[in-house]
Amino acid sequence: MLNAVNENPVMRKPQKPFYCNTSEHLLRIGREKATTLCELLEAMRRCPDDSIFQHTFRTLQEHHFIRQGFSNDFAHWSLSACNEPALAEQLASVDVREFTAIEGLRLRMLEIMDEFLEKHPKSATHPAHEPFYFCASDIVVLPTPFAPDSLRGFLDAINQVSVHSIHHHFIEARLRIHRMSNDFSQWLEEEAGLPEAADAIERIDFYTNTMEGVRRQIARIVSQAMNATN
Amino acid sequence: MSTEDQRAAAASTTVDTQTTTETDNGQRTPPKPHPARRATDRGSNRPLPVSVLTPPTPPPPPHLDDYQPIVGQGQLDTLRFLAKELKGKTIKMVNSTAVGGGVAEMLNRLVPLLSELEVPTHWDVITGGNDFFEVTKAFHNALHGTSYELTKSAQEIFLMYNEQNRARMQFGEGMVVIHDPQPVGLIHSREKSHAHWVWRCHIDLSNPDAKVWEFLRPFVEQYNAAIFSSQSFARQLPIPQYLFYPCIDPLSEKNKELPDSQVRQICDEFGIDRSRPIVTQVSRFDRLKDPVGVVQAYKLAKKYVDCQLVLAGGGASDDPEGAAVLQEVKEAAGEDPDIIILDLPPWCALEINAIQRASTIIVQKSLKEGFGLTVTEALWKGKPAIAGAVGGIPNQIIHKLTGVLVHSVEGCAFQIRYLLTHPEFARSIGASGREHVKENFLMTTNVKRWLLLFRILENAKAARGKV
Repeated sequence: MLNAVNENPVMRKPQKPFYCNTSEHLLRIGREKATTLCELLEAMRRCPDDSIFQHTFRTLQEHHFIRQGFSNDFAHWSLSACNEPALAEQLASVDVREFTAIEGLRLRMLEIMDEFLEKHPKSATHPAHEPFYFCASDIVVLPTPFAPDSLRGFLDAINQVSVHSIHHHFIEARLRIHRMSNDFSQWLEEEAGLPEAADAIERIDFYTNTMEGVRRQIARIVSQAMNATN
Repeated sequence: MSTEDQRAAAASTTVDTQTTTETDNGQRTPPKPHPARRATDRGSNRPLPVSVLTPPTPPPPPHLDDYQPIVGQGQLDTLRFLAKELKGKTIKMVNSTAVGGGVAEMLNRLVPLLSELEVPTHWDVITGGNDFFEVTKAFHNALHGTSYELTKSAQEIFLMYNEQNRARMQFGEGMVVIHDPQPVGLIHSREKSHAHWVWRCHIDLSNPDAKVWEFLRPFVEQYNAAIFSSQSFARQLPIPQYLFYPCIDPLSEKNKELPDSQVRQICDEFGIDRSRPIVTQVSRFDRLKDPVGVVQAYKLAKKYVDCQLVLAGGGASDDPEGAAVLQEVKEAAGEDPDIIILDLPPWCALEINAIQRASTIIVQKSLKEGFGLTVTEALWKGKPAIAGAVGGIPNQIIHKLTGVLVHSVEGCAFQIRYLLTHPEFARSIGASGREHVKENFLMTTNVKRWLLLFRILENAKAARGKV
């Protein structure tokens, strides 16, 4: 369901173009490995930030085509390898959008794990069907040919960039800008004077959408805003 | 290694290994006509069609732009941008065979694509006598966990041929990639070169023979980075380890789109009835692929749902164990006219492609597996896949999202029944499976990983220079 956009927004000419970038990742195999939930908890405490990033933010990009049932690798492993659906549901409910730094996300995950294992101590040492291997990513940010300086150009770019670029600006952005927002919304609000379109985009639920679905919703919101200002 | 192999390596962009036998396990077999083996078809022992008895002429390798309709312009732009940053730099790939097996097949596609991106890539193949390849085959098996007595003589043979190759080769490129253990000793040339040295290990090192691994480990630790095909295949090493999934080429004979008329024609030739559900497993006749288990699962499922079973594979014509397994499969199949067993020659990529595309469900019920590229092929064709949760298969099949994982004959039988009676769910996991391959397991993604690695190693070197 699309969020409603004000029918009569006041759009202004953007002062700065929107530079569409994309990020590419190379998966690095980490040193940590877990074969029980207890080991997972300990490894989550001491692993580097980029491992937490990999198994939460980054895995969403790797699995951008899945509409439901996949949130983060910790939740997935708790269900598929440890057969702990209650823990999996709680871990899956953690929304990366609520965090502008990895440390906060890590603490939230640890809190859930701690609480669950305190209530279910037998589950802590039950061997998993398969180990959890901690990984991380080496990231390279790249420009794309798109740098629109109008709303029309912005819409064209949204329709043409790769889903990796959408993920980069829409999901990973908050770690970069340290705001509860994304690059698209920030530009629409600050440069195009469209705060309601910006807000509508921020409220798109990417956990129940593929990244192509997210792209389509962003495009529709921008189109609506364009039609309303014409 | 013969001089013929070296020549083939030099002309690598035109070699198509689909015309050769699989030799990843160290066997070095030239292509030969397939014996006119008979396919057991509905109990009639229908012979294989004449069209598959001799190798076809390989098509020319594709160009980068040929991938645009498949992966989109954005992905190609990314490759070109990454390559632009590396312009003027070169790569050398070294392995132990120019023909046959997955590594050579992959290099045959990768090398021309990197060169087309103006990152000239040279492919060199090490040479050695039979004594060397006997040792390296034994090493290969030992690294997979087979018990092996590592003798001083074997070590000397290994080191001697590595030194001979080292003396023969030049390493003037910016990145040198050594594939698998056979040429690992070339690292001794590192001091004389300015290259980044990368060891690409295509085999599963999760449970190696300790003595062989301890012999090889000091070589591996001298590299700048190591690459594995799955997290579970890696070892604890003091160097960065990266994960490069194996890949398939969507434009190869095995994976390219086929017109329905061609699929129909090939099915007709093999006696496969397209009007009824088809459950297929494509694999060598090897006990680790559990073809007998697949027959048992089919028979359990058949009590509830109508279907045919196609077991399409090879390996029975030049491998005594393969022939024995084929016989076991035939005995398990009995007189069931709906079980179609095809012992195909190794160059039947197009036929395998057509059979996979005609299938309703594809099974890969392996008991042990490397990465499982037959699963990748099935997912790429949008087919609902049922596979054993072993080796690299869980990297590809996310249970109930991109396929289904099973652990037993009974589990496999249930999933056959379920998928045949829930076509919407089957379509949904098939579609997600295809997207999973598009994102992670295509040749273009592999090209991107090599460019990213080169760039990351360059950046790290520059950063070290600044300190």
